[in-house]
Amino acid sequence: MKKILALILAVMMMASVFAGCGEAASDAEGDLAYIENKGKLVVGITSYEPMNYQDENGEWTGFDTEFALAVGEKLDLDVEFKEIEWDNKWQELESKKIDCVWNGMTITEEAKVNASVTDAYVINAQVIVCKAEAAGELVDAAALAGKTVAAEVSSAGYQVGTDAGLEIVEYATQADAVMAVESGKAEACIIDITMANAMTGEGTSYPNLTYTGSMSEEEYGIACRKDSDLTAKINALMDELIADGTLTDLAAKYELTLAE
Amino acid sequence: MNYFLEVTLQLWEGFAVALELFALTLLFSLPGGLILSFGSMSRFAPLKWLVKVFVWIIRGTPLMLQLVIIYFGPGLLVTWAGRAGVDNFFIDWMAALNSMDAMVSAVLAFSINYTCYFSEIYRGGIESVSRGQYEAGQVLGMTKPQIFFRVVLLQVIKRIVPPMSNEIITLVKDTSLARVITVYEIIWAGQKFIKLDGVIWPLFYTGVFYLVFNGLLTLLFGYIEKKLSYFKS
Repeated sequence: MKKILALILAVMMMASVFAGCGEAASDAEGDLAYIENKGKLVVGITSYEPMNYQDENGEWTGFDTEFALAVGEKLDLDVEFKEIEWDNKWQELESKKIDCVWNGMTITEEAKVNASVTDAYVINAQVIVCKAEAAGELVDAAALAGKTVAAEVSSAGYQVGTDAGLEIVEYATQADAVMAVESGKAEACIIDITMANAMTGEGTSYPNLTYTGSMSEEEYGIACRKDSDLTAKINALMDELIADGTLTDLAAKYELTLAE
Repeated sequence: MNYFLEVTLQLWEGFAVALELFALTLLFSLPGGLILSFGSMSRFAPLKWLVKVFVWIIRGTPLMLQLVIIYFGPGLLVTWAGRAGVDNFFIDWMAALNSMDAMVSAVLAFSINYTCYFSEIYRGGIESVSRGQYEAGQVLGMTKPQIFFRVVLLQVIKRIVPPMSNEIITLVKDTSLARVITVYEIIWAGQKFIKLDGVIWPLFYTGVFYLVFNGLLTLLFGYIEKKLSYFKS
């Protein structure tokens, strides 16, 4: 009995080693050729208004969504949006689960060492969010010195805060950082202005919060795999879409500022 | 009220995904654990040690890490091999593995992990049955499989119900780890409301789903224990 079971066990282990053989997907000459071969561009996103979000019908919309669809059309590729865990974006990209990160991504040193980043297409700012009664005081980096300041882990807000010499308490998401301010665990947090607009003030869950000064200006870019030829292609198509007015219209629709 | 209903429905969709992962993991790891436990009790030393080392690795590393390795590992190898100009059957195999759906990866990682935990519970249960019972069976002229299935197994099942229920309840909550590899389960669904609407309570509300389901499981295990209690040992 035990011998038979031991045999079954051994066979199962062997089978698991060879499972999945057969279907082979070989690496073509370049990344663009690989993507064209698949026939679809898989875009890694998170729910992030106004860049990528779902409308009432559950369809993806937003500035980056429409931008990516426009680029996909020019490349004659289907565009598939895949929601990812933001912390895992580089693994997602490098393991080819997605072909690019296109989600209001700030161009940082981290992005440049982990991916091939396109030219900037939108400008954003990192702003200070605090309780309305502290808004008169907490207006810049100097006022935040010695205060408890929250930011999303390895985010642009964390970066500018640390660069300004502040002690930053890290939270998993920007939303958590805002929650920290609301609950009094932090006196302020540093997040994207687009996020601050959507989350604070009247008509949101945080009517008592507001944002004051901006800590830094930053630029959004699209991350492709390291050494990918897709980067140059998107850059070229971006110029076309600016020239024909498509991006300008999108920026106006979603109240964003295009980069130069 | 309308919003509450919408939240409940969306969380339920996420919880259904968690339940799918839960059920599939049990489907594979309950029998898998029994088979592996025979490996760890085998008198064939190489097999025994192979299984023991395997169980040590799987129980000794975080499930979250195992999820990330199984989901991203093959794809990363393919990309790195592509850059290094390496191409062989192993890389082709990895490329095929990389096309695995996130849910499949999660079921694989969870099943391997829970198989190892269950195998140790089975082993403890089987080894707790005294040798005298095997000997008595032999005296009565029963074959080894007869002794195992007619005498030993039911006692084992009775003894392992409490530790098993512990692990199974842990499994319900562990499914929330799968969101790191983009399995859109209930915690993911809850966090979505924070990102989209700036509303936090749905995240806490997810706890109710876990609590109710684990309550049902607790009742079920209580019932099973009662049913088996005629079996005094």
